[in-house]
Amino acid sequence: MTVTEQEIADYVARVRGALTDLPPAVRDELTEDLPEHLAVVAAESDGTLVERLGEPEAYASELRTAAGVGAGRRLATGELNAVVDRVRARLNTLDRQLGPPLGYPTVRSFLHLLAPGWWILRGYLAAMLLALLTGGFGGAVGLLPRFEGHLLLGLMILAALVVASVMLGRRKAQLRGWSGRLLVLGNLVLVGFGLVGLVQLDDRRGEGNYYTPISVDSQYDHIRDVFVYDTEGQLVDYARLFDQNGDPIRLGYPDCAAARDVIRRDQINNTNPLLRGYPYCPEAAPFGPRPTVDASPPALPAPPGTVQPDSVASPAVPETAPTTSEPSPVTPEVPETPPTSAPAPGVAPTG
Amino acid sequence: MDTTQLLKGVLDLAVLAVLREEDGYGYDILRRLRDAGLTEVGDASVYGTLRRLFAAGLLTTYVVPSESGPHRKYYSLNAAGRDQIARSGKLWRSFASTMDTLLDDRGRAA
Repeated sequence: MTVTEQEIADYVARVRGALTDLPPAVRDELTEDLPEHLAVVAAESDGTLVERLGEPEAYASELRTAAGVGAGRRLATGELNAVVDRVRARLNTLDRQLGPPLGYPTVRSFLHLLAPGWWILRGYLAAMLLALLTGGFGGAVGLLPRFEGHLLLGLMILAALVVASVMLGRRKAQLRGWSGRLLVLGNLVLVGFGLVGLVQLDDRRGEGNYYTPISVDSQYDHIRDVFVYDTEGQLVDYARLFDQNGDPIRLGYPDCAAARDVIRRDQINNTNPLLRGYPYCPEAAPFGPRPTVDASPPALPAPPGTVQPDSVASPAVPETAPTTSEPSPVTPEVPETPPTSAPAPGVAPTG
Repeated sequence: MDTTQLLKGVLDLAVLAVLREEDGYGYDILRRLRDAGLTEVGDASVYGTLRRLFAAGLLTTYVVPSESGPHRKYYSLNAAGRDQIARSGKLWRSFASTMDTLLDDRGRAA
């Protein structure tokens, strides 16, 4: 197995990790030659660095003893350090034991392959967080970063942050002291942010559902069906109602046998019954018969001044055929009070 | 008793002795010690010892650009270091001769 730069960086990181109780300046001084030394060792012989030099923690301990540093502080926190060392040793053992099932010498070496993926994800998360912060948490957040609604700017910043994150990832080993700690903190923040975002995205899964119930004021409770008439008084078939959010307004329910049949058929065919629209029961229309494809007259008389080919063609409505400027007393469109029965076609109450 | 334990006591002196011949950087010093016969000297021990001797004011350092790779930190003996090796060397010789005598006597007696 050849020793990679990554393995060297790993080894250095673990040696430094075992010396964290020392003042940063002392620690830096103790380990400044280490990367180069490891590179030479790696170049000179086969085998992993651990095989050549022993565990990094042991190396650190030897370094510490030979340099004669940190004994006092080590004693003060000896108990804690002993626990930390034991935990670390156990993790290292686990690392080597779980690696082979994955097809790698250690879990660590496997995770290192995934590191560049994390760098890209980190850049993306940073861009999303930045977009969210500059947007003041106000606007709707999608999957791409937008700055003041500008997607192009968002994509440019996204690209820049991804590149920066990758560069940061490659230089990680050089970050020491507070800057290294800052990086860890930043990573934790972004991971937390990413998890929150993921949960919210998952919550949004139901929002595309057509059946989201819309709360309707109780004054509409008595409504069983909805009939829409156009300006010419024609009953509109398959009308659909939406609120300002584009959510369908559901009023009433299929009350008649015919509608229930249709809905049952829709359910069997797996089509959305809501796409059928209002009215559920056209036969129950309060004004006039349901218009059919043939040239039957409109359910309601057309308001004067409108050219209505049907009316013109129909001989039954001679009074309304001539389009005069004289207003007739006919109440156009939907009357306020429904007639007691459906008016006979063509019988226009012309006074 | 193995060599490692003996080394602990005399590694300072060994490093100083190596540096008396010629200045050197960490790995170079390590190699010279091993070539001289101290094959069991640990990598970390040498680096740690260098750092301690430097902190004690016995060594000076200077950086030399390397043709390949990073710059190298060279160590060299200063006046205090030379003084130290003179004293420690004397101490070692007397100690070693005492040990030789002891061992020879015992060896003859045995």
